[in-house]
Formats: sequence, structure tokens, C-alpha cells
Amino acid sequence: MRYLLFLCLFILFLANTVQGQATEPEALLRQMEERLYGDTAMIRLAMVVGTRRGERRMEMDSYSSGRDRNFIKITYPAKDRGITFLKIENGLWQYVPRIEKIIKIPAAMMLQSWMGSDFSNDDLIRESLLSRDYHSRLITEDETTWTLELTAHPEAPVVWGRLVLILAREYLLPLKVDYYDENNQLIRTLEYSGFSQMGGRIYPSRWLMTPREAGQEGRWTRIDVLAAAFDIEIPADLFSKQALQRLSR
Amino acid sequence: MFIDLAWKNIFHQPRRSLVTVLLLLTATAILIFAGAFMEGSHQQMIRSAVEIYPGYLQITGVGYQDEPGVDRLIFDLAAVNHVLEEMADVAVFSSRYESFVLLASDHQALGALLVGIEPAREAQLSRLQQSLIRGQYLSDDDQNQIYLGRELAEKLKVDVGSSLAFVGSGVDASFAADRLQVKGIFQTGLFGFDSSSCFVNRAYLEPLMALANTASHVIVLPRHLEKTRELTALISRHLPPDLEAQSWQQTMAGLVEAMAVDSIFGYLTLGVLFLVILFVITIYTLLAIMARTREIGILRAIGSSQGQIFTLLFLEGIILTLTGVLPGGLLGGAFAWYFQENPISMNAWDEQFKQYNLAVSALPALFSWAQILRDMVIMTLMALTAMLIPLFRVTRLRPTEAMRHV
Repeated sequence: MRYLLFLCLFILFLANTVQGQATEPEALLRQMEERLYGDTAMIRLAMVVGTRRGERRMEMDSYSSGRDRNFIKITYPAKDRGITFLKIENGLWQYVPRIEKIIKIPAAMMLQSWMGSDFSNDDLIRESLLSRDYHSRLITEDETTWTLELTAHPEAPVVWGRLVLILAREYLLPLKVDYYDENNQLIRTLEYSGFSQMGGRIYPSRWLMTPREAGQEGRWTRIDVLAAAFDIEIPADLFSKQALQRLSR
Repeated sequence: MFIDLAWKNIFHQPRRSLVTVLLLLTATAILIFAGAFMEGSHQQMIRSAVEIYPGYLQITGVGYQDEPGVDRLIFDLAAVNHVLEEMADVAVFSSRYESFVLLASDHQALGALLVGIEPAREAQLSRLQQSLIRGQYLSDDDQNQIYLGRELAEKLKVDVGSSLAFVGSGVDASFAADRLQVKGIFQTGLFGFDSSSCFVNRAYLEPLMALANTASHVIVLPRHLEKTRELTALISRHLPPDLEAQSWQQTMAGLVEAMAVDSIFGYLTLGVLFLVILFVITIYTLLAIMARTREIGILRAIGSSQGQIFTLLFLEGIILTLTGVLPGGLLGGAFAWYFQENPISMNAWDEQFKQYNLAVSALPALFSWAQILRDMVIMTLMALTAMLIPLFRVTRLRPTEAMRHV
């Protein structure tokens, strides 16, 4: 009887250890998303869009709650100040003060560039939900990184066929994501750098998106995180269509 | 003497001769008219597809046609304008700036192609102005007024006077948005175009989208349309290396190819029809000549040579063929001419044309002497070939054998 009890305890211990190691790719991905987006987050950021003909800088405040609610307000340049975006689950709305109109971005426009950058409207909706839409598999690991391959669930309404994600073991945060289309062609790369203490956690302060398709040479979009706060109280009514207009001013 | 004999023989068997002549006459008329109609309708389809919007000659940034993007625009429009102003063979030219925007009415938000045009010049280059169905076409002084495709207006549930808003990006990746008022609605008949395109005055769009001295296209109307390729080559030589000029044969290569494939299938179908007709002619000739085997045997026995018999029979064939082909050619030509002047209305086929994104309400035939003569020669040669087989057979018979034939 004593042996049996011991055996049960041993099995329980083993099961716990395996879970605790967190090298399961699905778990790694969830932890990464948790660290990158938090339960709630307030991020002040600058987005710089570079083309062969010059650079353009925008600044904005982003508020998020969970993975499916996000509110963005453009604060710079003055010409665009007050433009607001709201993401709720799979829907995306925008309010433009100049035309005083709340517009729902139609599904057909989801792949269009967001604010002239190399991010698309779709990125705003799906980027934080990789663990929901993709199946992940650990392909290589070394002392400092894990490399995961993400393939889309058959029924997931996603654009990318495959993603290759390099995770830093030290922070459990992404270093680089390669986006491949359904023909396994590399379309773009997102690189994270400048890991520093922000809002009580280590956070990548620089995100660089580079298109890899022919003819896109010289284009890039960089996000500089200026300030961040995580797991703070954000009023629920911020994530409503009324707020789009109210907070635009 | 041979000709007299040949005529005599032809009238001796009036029914056989009449059927052969009628068969050839109908076949020639059908071949000529079908060819003329195919050529005419293809030309018309290409012409309307080119003239409605794309134009005969386009200047863009290198690679813009395949992959449009703000890096591949024309950034020194003044320099291009200067090159074109100097060219005598350029009738008129105009710039366009195409950009993909979000159009929002009170009911609906949709993606659409918003084009900044120079309204007065554009009217001379494309059929935009002619395609107006309600309201007014744009003018060079217009501000926030928009000219919308009919299907797009229907989807947005707006009409002349309604207000709309657009949201897009400028050349410098800046945000561009404004309220617009519907000034006019057009319908070209190209369904895809009418359901996704809208136009505003370029001068109005310039500050909003940072367009100064910038365009996505310059469209050129050559003074002599048939010399478009030569003009394209000439313009290309004067353009900076980051720009390219393309003729309609290049920009509309898909349509040109589709028409060529359609012609091939058309002629293949006609080919099958003619094979049947020629087979009938061969059988008829064979039967007629076989019926005369005894007569030919007697001719040989009284001293006619094989060559003389062949000449006589072949002459009969030529007379019958020409009697059929010549009026057939004239009849086919007359039909071609009539339907060139009075195109066949295609309104009943409107839906089918829409599926192929073609805008044609009437298709003309193309009257061309060269094509008529070509087809008449083809028919004559084919008919004579069909007659040769039985001819060789009968002239090879020995007189004694032939005379025993009953």
C-alpha cells in the first residue's frame, strides 16, 4: 500500500515537472503573448514609416484589454491628431474628426496598409491572437533561443500560411517573426529589440517590420515604444464606439 | 472547244451542277461573313476596352503595372509633360493619380479606386465623360465633388447630391480624408470598373494627398492610332530610366490574346463545317463522274487522250467552283458591309458580356477586300482539291473497261 501511494505521488510529481518546464510550444506561445500584451496595457508609441523617399513619424496612445479589445488614438502629427481606432474581437472601427464619421473597416479592406505603414488592418486584429489561430511546433532550440514554427489551423481565417518565431529564452519574448504566405514565400519580417524595463517588466522598445517581397526594397516601419504600463485599470467604456468620438478631442 | 464541251456537260446535269454551285456559294458567303464578323467584333471589343479607361498609351513608373506602390510613381510629372508637349504625334495627354481608399456613405463603407484626374483633358482621352448617366461630369474647378460608377453608387446607396466620405493615404503615407458630394454617376458597361471606381478633380486632391508634381499614370492619345507602337518606342527613348511607356497591346495583352484564341476556335469550327461541305462536293463529283464512266470510255476509244479528258473534267470543275465562289464572295462581302454599317445589337447578351467584363452594346462586322479575296481563293482551292480525287480515279480507267461500265 505504501509503495502504491509512493508510486502515485511519483507519477504526480513527474506530471507536474513536465508541465512546469513550459517547453511545450503552445505554452511558450501563450506565455509570450501574456508578457507582450498583459491583461491590460497602456502603451505610448511612435511609428516611423520609411520609404526610399523619406520617413514619416506618427505618435499614438494604445490601450488594450485582454487580447480582443484595443483602442488607439493618434496624437501626432497635428494634422492627424484625434483619429481613433477601436478593435473589438474581429471588428475594426475608425473615427476621423475631419469627416466626423465612425467607419467600420470592411472585411475586403483588412489587408490594406494601416495608416500608410507596413502593418495591415488585419495585423491590428490578429497579431495578439497567434496562439488561438496557429498550431505551434518547436523546430530548434539553443542556449538562448527557441524557434517555433506556427502553422494556421485549417479553419482559422488568417492570412499567413506559416510563421517562424524566434523566442528569447531569457525574457520569453519574441526576437524575430518571419511571415510566409500559402506558397511558403517569405513576405515580411518583424524584429523586436531594445529590451528594457518598462511598466514593471522587460519589454521590447523597438519593433521593426521589413517587407521582403521584390519591389519593396527600402521600405520599413518601426515602432518605438515610448512608455508602457501593464495590468492597470482601464475603464471598460473606453472600448465602445461612443468613445471613438468622445476621446478623439 | 473544251470550254464549250464543259458548259454542255454542266447543263446536261443541271441538278448536280446547281447543288454544287449552291453549296459553294453558301459556304463562301458563310466563311466571308463569319470571318468579317469575328474580326469586326474583336476589334470593337478591344477598342471599347481600350477607350473606356486604360487608353492607347500609358506612362508609369517601371513595374507599376505589375505591382502598384507609392515607390513606383511618377515623381517628376513636369518633366514627362515637357517631353510630351514637344512631340508632334501626341494628340493629347493627361495625368491620373490612382489610390485605393475607403468610401463611406451613411449606409455602407466600401473599398474603392479613387482617381484624381484632369477633367477637361481626361474627357478627350477616355469615355468617362460620355458614360455620364446622371448629374454632371467633373470640371477643372471642382473641389470635393465625386464622379461615381453606377454599381458603386448603388452599393453605397447614394445618388447625385448625396454626401460621402473617403479615407485613404497620401503619397507621403500621410492620412487623407474628407467629405465629398456626388456630382455625377457614370456607367461604362464594364461591370468591374463601374462597381469599384470613382473620380475627383486632381487639383482638389493634390494638397490632401501630397500629390504635387506626382502621378501614377500619364495617358497619351496618339495622333495616329495605328502608329501607337512607334510612338511608344519614341516616348520610351525620352523618358528617365525609372519610367516606362506601354502601348495598349502591352497593357491589354490578356484581352488581345483572348481575342486571338477566340478567332482560332472560330476558324476551327468553320473548318469542321467546311470539311463536311467539301466531303459532300467530293461525293457529288464522284457520283456524277462515275455516271459518265461509259461516256468517258467512248471518248477514250475514239482517240481522246487521258490529258484531254482530265482537262475537260477539270474545266467543268473550275466553272462550277467559280460560279459558286464568285457570287458567294459577293454575297458574303455584301453581308459584311451591311453589318459593318448596321452593327448587330447585343443587348440580349448583356449579362454574358458583363461576366467577361466587356462593354459592347452592338458588334459590327469588318468589311475588308483583302479578307474577301483571301477567303475566295481558299474556297476555290479547297473545292478544286475536293474534285481532284474522283477525277484522277476516272481518268485512270482503261477504255475497254470503261465502255463495259453500265
